Amino acid sequence: MNSTHPDMLALITTLKMAGITTVILMLIGTPLAWFLAKMKSRGKVFIEALVALPLVLPPTVLGFYLLLLFSPQYLPGQIWQETTGQQLAFSFSAIVIGSVLYSLPFVVQPLQKAFEQLGDDLLEAAAMLGASAFDRFFTIVLPITKASFITAASLGFAHTVGEFGVVLMIGGNIPGETRVLSIALFDHVEAFDYAQAHVISISLVISSLVLLSLIYLLNRPNKSRPKSSKPAISKSVISKRHN
Amino acid sequence: MADLSINVRVEHEDFVLSINEKISLTGITGIFGHSGSGKSTLLKVIAGLDKHVQGKLAINDLPAADALLDSEAKIFVAAQQRNIGLVFQNSRLFPHLTVEENLRYGQKRRNNTSVNKPLDFAEIVVLTKLDNLLSKSVAQLSGGEQQRVALARALLAEPRLLLLDEPLSALDDKNKSLMLTLLAKVQKQLNLPMLYVSHSLAEIQQLANNLLVLSSGKVTHYGDIHQVIHLLTTNNEILHQTSLSLTVQEHLVEYGLTSLVLGDQQILMPLNQQIESDANTNTNVRCIIAASDISVTLHEPSESSIVNHLQGTITKFEPCKSQVLLTVNCSGQDFFVNITAWSAKRLSLIVDQKVFIQFKANSVRTLR
Repeated sequence: MNSTHPDMLALITTLKMAGITTVILMLIGTPLAWFLAKMKSRGKVFIEALVALPLVLPPTVLGFYLLLLFSPQYLPGQIWQETTGQQLAFSFSAIVIGSVLYSLPFVVQPLQKAFEQLGDDLLEAAAMLGASAFDRFFTIVLPITKASFITAASLGFAHTVGEFGVVLMIGGNIPGETRVLSIALFDHVEAFDYAQAHVISISLVISSLVLLSLIYLLNRPNKSRPKSSKPAISKSVISKRHN
Repeated sequence: MADLSINVRVEHEDFVLSINEKISLTGITGIFGHSGSGKSTLLKVIAGLDKHVQGKLAINDLPAADALLDSEAKIFVAAQQRNIGLVFQNSRLFPHLTVEENLRYGQKRRNNTSVNKPLDFAEIVVLTKLDNLLSKSVAQLSGGEQQRVALARALLAEPRLLLLDEPLSALDDKNKSLMLTLLAKVQKQLNLPMLYVSHSLAEIQQLANNLLVLSSGKVTHYGDIHQVIHLLTTNNEILHQTSLSLTVQEHLVEYGLTSLVLGDQQILMPLNQQIESDANTNTNVRCIIAASDISVTLHEPSESSIVNHLQGTITKFEPCKSQVLLTVNCSGQDFFVNITAWSAKRLSLIVDQKVFIQFKANSVRTLR
């Protein structure tokens, strides 16, 4: 396979989409998880449910509503078109936004759990030693919950790579723009090109297996490590993958 | 002289803390109260960790007054900017850092505006006996060691005031005694004002020169430690006891006794390793004698195994059911004595009568 091969192009698009999505997810998911971990009001359960919605909803439902919102007939799509000069629906940006929403729980849940486990004790101690909020985040929170950050990023990335329904609804199948591996695979199957479908499928199975094994390896309970540094990962999050 | 003026009100669901008091920031001030009295809440308010607080809080180091809180003027200085240290009950060491890194954490962030020269890292490490532990991970430390690291870490941040929230409650007796000695030494050497919260009056009595008593969110007493304990005793708020601070005369090692000076008389107590080995810094001994451990005789006992007998005058006679609480003044020091009403009648005790009080060396108690 060379770089002009359509499947190679799909792989590059997939990695680009998953990479950008993961970066955005970490930037949005971290403060959101922190906010949820510290939140005490009753509104918390509603926001938690909202974040977890993509876990139970068929991806096509999310894709359908996003498709509507992204189209120039609706305000978000309209604003996008006015500011960028391009249509949002069926663009690379659209599949990144869709992926961010769709993979959000995979990033927020492990982080929220880690922050809840960490508690306030060490943060109060650090504050009493003169550490500001930012200082506390980078010198206490991040090093202690490092494994959960790696888990969150890996799950967000892997889940985005494996996405199909949302991308199909809002991205279509534009080579180099929105044609990702899962859609390329679908194309091969439709065209009865099972050989090529196997190549994509088996590579996805193996790479996903390797990535998940690494996550579980990282999360293996380690008795020599203090309790609070144990990363939080809920197995249910992983097993609930749809695609 | 610096003081901490507190005029605050904290309202939690079923608890109100309302304090208006000026605490002198010299030596160690004990804050005593039963659980639920609000002593930990008060400490959190001073630390800046409790944000649901109304009122004013300021450190006055005349002529400057430094407001930490003024809810009317919308001033709330964040905990990390107050330059106040806090040693928690659970040491709260950072698990991902070694002992030395824990100590450096506070040192790196210390407030450099103070005119004093910075504390010497090695000096604090030696003082807190951590020199052999620096490279260890905090999970490898014993409870006593962890609390010493927590103390050293707080000291190295060079606070202007150190708060201690039940710092001994998780320690066994031996470590308690070591930590008490260490705290007294640290206070003396660094001249750092401390507020020491505890539900154990015995602990506070060992260290504090002033005592603030809290009950249901209000200050009930504040003043000199021995006077407040005296007051608590006469008010029947605590077990009747005499709180003393006496100078060591000599250690009678072969008898396992230490003699203490009381005016022209002396008191013998069991020899204490801590006090003996720290002879230079511990010329003063804080001790407590329970009122029920003291008895009264009309003549000086000459053939008794009880080693302590002091001459004194009855200054107060308070009958209480079948008991009598006597206050006997011996060489200027008031002693509380609990005897039965029957004994009081048999000896026909009255105020201004000259008597002898006697107690065993073992009834002179200290936590050291």
